[in-house]
Amino acid sequence: MVTMHELAREDDQLVEEALGGNALSFQLLVERYQERIFALARHYTKSAVEVEDIAQDTFLKAYRRLDSFQRQSSFSTWLYRIAVNTALDFLKRSGRSPVQAVEDPELSAAPVRALAGSGASLSAPDANLRREELARITQRVLEELPEIFRTVLVLREFEDMPYQEMAEVLGISIGTVESRLFRARARFKEALLRLYPEFAAGD
Amino acid sequence: MEPAVNLTCEAARPLVPGYLDGQLSELSASPLRAHLLACPACRESAKEGRNLKRFFAAPPAAVPVPAGFAARVARRALAGDPGLLQPEPPPALGRAARPLLPMLLVATAAAAVLLFVLALAIQRQNLPAGDGLRAQEPPPWLENEARDLPLTLDSEAAAGSPTR
Repeated sequence: MVTMHELAREDDQLVEEALGGNALSFQLLVERYQERIFALARHYTKSAVEVEDIAQDTFLKAYRRLDSFQRQSSFSTWLYRIAVNTALDFLKRSGRSPVQAVEDPELSAAPVRALAGSGASLSAPDANLRREELARITQRVLEELPEIFRTVLVLREFEDMPYQEMAEVLGISIGTVESRLFRARARFKEALLRLYPEFAAGD
Repeated sequence: MEPAVNLTCEAARPLVPGYLDGQLSELSASPLRAHLLACPACRESAKEGRNLKRFFAAPPAAVPVPAGFAARVARRALAGDPGLLQPEPPPALGRAARPLLPMLLVATAAAAVLLFVLALAIQRQNLPAGDGLRAQEPPPWLENEARDLPLTLDSEAAAGSPTR
C-alpha cells in the first residue's frame, strides 16, 4: 500500500519533471488530482461546464506557478489552495456570492447565540430520506451561507480535511479554522431550520 | 448537578466540535469523554453536533471528469495557455463607464444642432459677421477725457468708473 509520504514524494518528483518541461509528468499530476478537484469545484456550482472550467483553470494556474511551489506543504494542499481561490474568484466574478468578511461582528454574533442554545435543537435527518434528497437539502442550505463559511464546511465535512491542512489551504491559523467552523455550523443550523423547520427537534 | 470530573462545562463545550471531527489529541479527548458521560447537557450538545454532521453524509452528484481531460490540460499548460477564467477588465471601462457614453453622444449632438440653428438665426437677422466688425469713432467727450488721463496704473484704476 502506498503511504501518504510516498505519494507526496512521487508528487514532488512529478513536479520536478514537469518544471523541466515534461508534459507527461504534469499530465500524471492532473490525473492524480482531477477527481478531487472536480468534486471540490462541484460544491460551488451545479453546472458541469463551470465545474470543468474551474478545474481546468486550477491546473493551468498550478502549472504557471509551479516554480513557486516551495514544498513547505504537500503538493495536494498547495493545489487545493489554488482550487479554492479559483472557485471563490469564479463566484465573485459571476456575482453569485458576494464576499463577506468572517470577522464581521454582524456575521458572527447571531449564529454563536443560536448555537449557545437560544434556538431550537436540530434533529438528525430521517434515515429513510433518499441520499439525493439529503444532498439537495444540504446544498440548498450551503448556498445560503457566505462563501467563507461554505468553504470550511466543504473542506471539513465533504473532503474530510484535518484542521492543520485546512489552515494551510486557507492561509489561516488552526484557531481561526476552529472558530470559523464553529460559526459556519451555527449559520448552517440557523439556515437549515429556517428553510426546513421540519428538522427542528421536538421537545 | 455538576459532573464529578475535572472538566467544567465551560471548558468542555468548545472541545466538542473538535472531538466530533476526530481532531482532538487523546490527551484532550479522554477527559472530554468522561465529562460527556457524566453531563447530560454537554451530551445533548454533542448529539446535536452529530446530527448536524449527518446532513453532510451525501455529497452532491459528481460531475464526471471528461475523457482526455488531463492530457488536454497538460498540453494547454505547456503551450502557455493562461486559462478561461481571466481577470475582468478594470471597472472604469466596465459597467460604470457604459451608461455615460450614449448620454455624452446625445448631448454632443444636441449642442451641435443648437449651434447650427443659432448660426442660421444670426445670419437671418443680418447681424454683422465677426470679420465685418469695425471700431466706431469715440464720442468727442470721451476723446477729451482720455487725453487728460496720466499713464499710471493707479490713476487708471481710479478712473475706472464711467460715471465720475
